[in-house]
Amino acid sequence: MFFDEKRERIPEDELQQLHLELLNRTLVACNNSPYYRKKFRELGLKPGIKTLEDIKEFPFTTKDDLRESYPIGMVATSLDNIVRMHASSGTTGKSTLVFHTMKDVENWAGLVARGLYAVGVRKTDVFQNMMSYGLFTGGLGLHYGAEKLGALVLPVGSGNTQKQIEFLLDLKATVLHITPSYLLYLGHVIEEEKIPLSRFSFRIAIVGAEPHSESTRRKLEKMFRMKVFNCYGLSEMNGPGVAFECLHQSGLHLWEDHYFGEIINPDTGEVMPDGKEGELVLTTLQREGMPMIRYRTKDITKFIAGRCPCGRTHRRMVRIKGRTDDMFIVKGVNIFPSQIETVLMEIPEVDKNYRIILDRKEGLDILTVEIEIKKKYFKGELQQLRTVQEKITDMLKDVILVTPVVELIEPGSLPPSTGKAQRVIDKRRI
Amino acid sequence: MGRQLSIFVENKPGKVNRITGILEKSGINMKAMTIADSGTFGIIKLITDNNKKAFDVLKKDNLLVSYQEVVVVEIPDRVGAFHRIARILEDGKINMEDAYGFIMEEGKRAALILKVADPGKVEKILKKKRYKIIEDF
Repeated sequence: MFFDEKRERIPEDELQQLHLELLNRTLVACNNSPYYRKKFRELGLKPGIKTLEDIKEFPFTTKDDLRESYPIGMVATSLDNIVRMHASSGTTGKSTLVFHTMKDVENWAGLVARGLYAVGVRKTDVFQNMMSYGLFTGGLGLHYGAEKLGALVLPVGSGNTQKQIEFLLDLKATVLHITPSYLLYLGHVIEEEKIPLSRFSFRIAIVGAEPHSESTRRKLEKMFRMKVFNCYGLSEMNGPGVAFECLHQSGLHLWEDHYFGEIINPDTGEVMPDGKEGELVLTTLQREGMPMIRYRTKDITKFIAGRCPCGRTHRRMVRIKGRTDDMFIVKGVNIFPSQIETVLMEIPEVDKNYRIILDRKEGLDILTVEIEIKKKYFKGELQQLRTVQEKITDMLKDVILVTPVVELIEPGSLPPSTGKAQRVIDKRRI
Repeated sequence: MGRQLSIFVENKPGKVNRITGILEKSGINMKAMTIADSGTFGIIKLITDNNKKAFDVLKKDNLLVSYQEVVVVEIPDRVGAFHRIARILEDGKINMEDAYGFIMEEGKRAALILKVADPGKVEKILKKKRYKIIEDF
């Protein structure tokens, strides 16, 4: 039942002891990075703690800090030892980069393998990985984990639905890794093409990279007649595999031998007891390339009190309920409204008012940006407007990596930009 | 030089109504109109009996509106009249970007509105051929 029983069922008191030891090791490792060394010195902090409580003395790390230390200011080892880089979107401009040593990549794969095993994936499975490969961590993260488990991995990546269906049928894939929205879409295509479910062999889907509700999970399970499990991660903390459900589907086990988790009040920074909802804050415990302390994930969740019937001692958290910032996810890609705003403000023809609308059509996310043309740039020609429309589409795509629908609208049709204008309207229900 | 108004409109119910309503309230008579659309939005091109006033009232109502120079030429309301103009433009290797028209006097006079790259040059050519160029209504 366990991939690594000794670690997955470590008694709580031993886990606490391990936390103290690994937190101390992490603080020392952090002190090797230019960013943290400077930070610790500024705050007069010595890289060490006596009790677990003492970690609260240490500062949070935020996405802004990552931007400040771009590109390699948080790397705590020689670049010679780094074997992998991943990136996620920054709030504006530069991406957030994360660097891994060989050991980090192996540890990450181990955590993913552990999670996959916990939901019933075995070496006899055929694992169709339908997440993007590349800078995004979704594809490679699960790929290495499934390989470590010994499964046959089909690295198809995202999109190309006909090819996906072909492999699902011909290679009899039993486990899928996919975003919930793409899984919904796949379900619609299979239904439209009238392919009987009995021709497929899938039995498990791992869904992640997008927040989704329990009812979406149930809908997907019914649609495909298979088990669907939630997986949580973020590129700053490796990527997928930070927390994973088990067969009981009653919360995600945070792998506490690799992450020290806290829930804080996002407004005050105060640490909350288990059972209270707040922002998840994570510290890496075994990372060499880029150890990070108290990283503010901006994800809202809470820890579930009590031990899971599966016997794992690692605390469970509830599925992510929302964000403390305005980030949203489209087609599995993290996007901040500020990224879109920055691009729009660079285009002289665009007025300062804009609106982002998120919708879903046949299971696929659609991001629409409504903009107003500045009066003085209006020449009265359709061609001019089309050119502006295309220019904005291209510029946005370069930054947010998703092709938006750009709509030109009449001046004054948007709510005024003063005060707290509602810039993002999410019509998706998932 | 003739002028037309170019107005940006979203392709949604009620959008043209808004413009015609403003013109009615201001006592402006529409002479001719054409719409070019591009999916979710389009451009209305408009000639009225008082373009200057129309421009001002539409702008005041927060519409995206611009003036464009066009050639407005009077032609007889009979078979082949437009063809003659088209042939003159072809001879001059002049490309017609847009054209529309309206009857001014049934069976007698019509107005043809031409959007071309160099309206001044086209007016000169047409005047030479004894056509009457309409500056304003």
